[in-house]
Amino acid sequence: LRIGDGLKMSSQNLLQHGEKDWAAAKAHFENLKSTKPRPPKPKYAVTIAVSSRTLFDMVAERKIFEEEGLEKYVQHQQEHENEPLKPGPAFPFVKALMTVNERLRNLYPDSEELFDIVLMTNNHAQVGVRLMNSINHYDLTIERFCMTGGQSPIEYLKAYMTNLYLSKDSKKVQEAIEEGIAAAIMFKPDVVTQLSETQLRVAFDGDAVLFSDESEIIVKQHGLDTFFEHEKQYENKPLAQGPLKCFLEALGKLQKKFYAKNERLNCPIRTFLVTARSAASSGARVLKTLRSWGLEIDEALFLAGAPKGPLLLKIRPHIFFDDQMFHIEGAKEMGTIAAHVPYGIGQKYNKGKLIEPEKQQK
Amino acid sequence: MEDKKNYTGPLMIALQYNDLFDLDSISTSTDTDALPNGRAFTFIKAVQTVNERLVEQNKSDCLLFEVILISKECSEEIKMKVDESVKHYGLEIGKFFFCKKEELINTLQSNKVKLFLSTERDDVYEALHTGIPAALLYDQADDHVLNQLKVIFSGDVIGFSEDSLDGLSEFGFSETQIETIKTAKICMKEFAVLIGQMRRRFGQENSPLCTCVLTSWGSRNVCASALKTLREWGLDVDEAFCLAGAPCSPILAVVKPHILWDGGLLNMS
Repeated sequence: LRIGDGLKMSSQNLLQHGEKDWAAAKAHFENLKSTKPRPPKPKYAVTIAVSSRTLFDMVAERKIFEEEGLEKYVQHQQEHENEPLKPGPAFPFVKALMTVNERLRNLYPDSEELFDIVLMTNNHAQVGVRLMNSINHYDLTIERFCMTGGQSPIEYLKAYMTNLYLSKDSKKVQEAIEEGIAAAIMFKPDVVTQLSETQLRVAFDGDAVLFSDESEIIVKQHGLDTFFEHEKQYENKPLAQGPLKCFLEALGKLQKKFYAKNERLNCPIRTFLVTARSAASSGARVLKTLRSWGLEIDEALFLAGAPKGPLLLKIRPHIFFDDQMFHIEGAKEMGTIAAHVPYGIGQKYNKGKLIEPEKQQK
Repeated sequence: MEDKKNYTGPLMIALQYNDLFDLDSISTSTDTDALPNGRAFTFIKAVQTVNERLVEQNKSDCLLFEVILISKECSEEIKMKVDESVKHYGLEIGKFFFCKKEELINTLQSNKVKLFLSTERDDVYEALHTGIPAALLYDQADDHVLNQLKVIFSGDVIGFSEDSLDGLSEFGFSETQIETIKTAKICMKEFAVLIGQMRRRFGQENSPLCTCVLTSWGSRNVCASALKTLREWGLDVDEAFCLAGAPCSPILAVVKPHILWDGGLLNMS
């Protein structure tokens, strides 16, 4: 049972008022007499929460906040309220999610199993007007948002039943992961790459992203040879799950909906595993683990330690999750939208060297 | 201030005594202990904090909160206990009114109450229906933060157009319910104007007063419309939540408001 399931199940108890809210919202959307799609019921949806700085490019505005303070920042945003912001690193990902939703709605018009995108920001509500104007400008299907006015978003992530949280703030992302919510820190690529407009492509690193960091600990502490021996020995023992496993699972569920309608070849979701492991010595355990979880991944790419950048350029994912900043930098340099998952032992190392002193057993 | 005679302080809020004190756990013995705290306790402490901070800024500020206590039929004994308890906790209660249930509405009207707060949804709904500004005193857990007063305005009530509201009749909402929502918007305005004036006495951060918009049903444009309307009324809200049909209880549990202006919407279950 994944952590996300627990959150969604307890919310069922609040359904009493919930059903009336749902009917009223349905009424409103149907009244609009437009082709605007109605947002799905959260308990069935795959909810992606994006921060304002990942959805839009707010680098200049951020500078004002850091150099001139909160009041000036809010004032600036209000003065430029009617100027739409430029797209941020999560923008292509969000557009791809919308494409998948369109396809799902065509095949399953009554289903609530869709992507739901929530704007989750620390910003004050007054800044929100500019954000909403920008969302209108690009006609993004984002109807739910949460502007916390400075409060931590973590409890709100749970309240909105978030399956994946994307932010530029490493502290918030770490807190989210600690609370069992898949989360990553997004980076804007140095070069712009042309991405698919018909298929959502998501790439994952293996250890400490889909899987726990148990094997990575062995590499760091005992070296590669021990690692290879260990993985061969435990080939049939599934690895423990990592912070992004649930998200892969959610993608898999949606993929199966396309397969059920004979759309496997034309499926608008494609997943990739991009791992430093090598197929020969340590790859089997990974594939067997995925199989034991009942999960499929469309393409598994074993690099045996080669750099990930060039391969990612061929894949062109809308987002690439990795736990090591070294790989994130490499991806970013070559034009891949990378998202850092601050989890596990990899955080203590930089390019193979220990950053902080090793602590004794607790 | 003279030209806006209706829009000056004090901001009078009426509470019912059975929200302020927990009467269910009263023992029949006439002990001299004060009544235990009720659901409005954290609210009143928060209000007092706002007043203190307002006075700190400007000693002669007349736009302050004033809380009056209204009670429906009760015994002399309880009246005394209420009086004693108020003194015991050092609560700043302006006036006490003891009246029959039927007289509640009149009492509220004649005292120019700017807001009637109650945990009783039926009371709130009834008051709104007669044009008295009324909001839900949100039931708080005991460990709530005391140094900030949180007010939520319903984005649906403020942001929905007349046509959209009328359209709700096709989805099981009665004429009365729809009329009450429209009345609620008018009632909210004066309160919002006053709160807006108060809010501006403080900066973005470290304010003892926090205002929010919660749009339960409407789309993002309804929420944007509500934000802009409130701005026109002089209130720049701090937080905004748009749910587009998602259940609002989980969000309310995190926001933990004291005052929830829902226009009687939550009464419809």
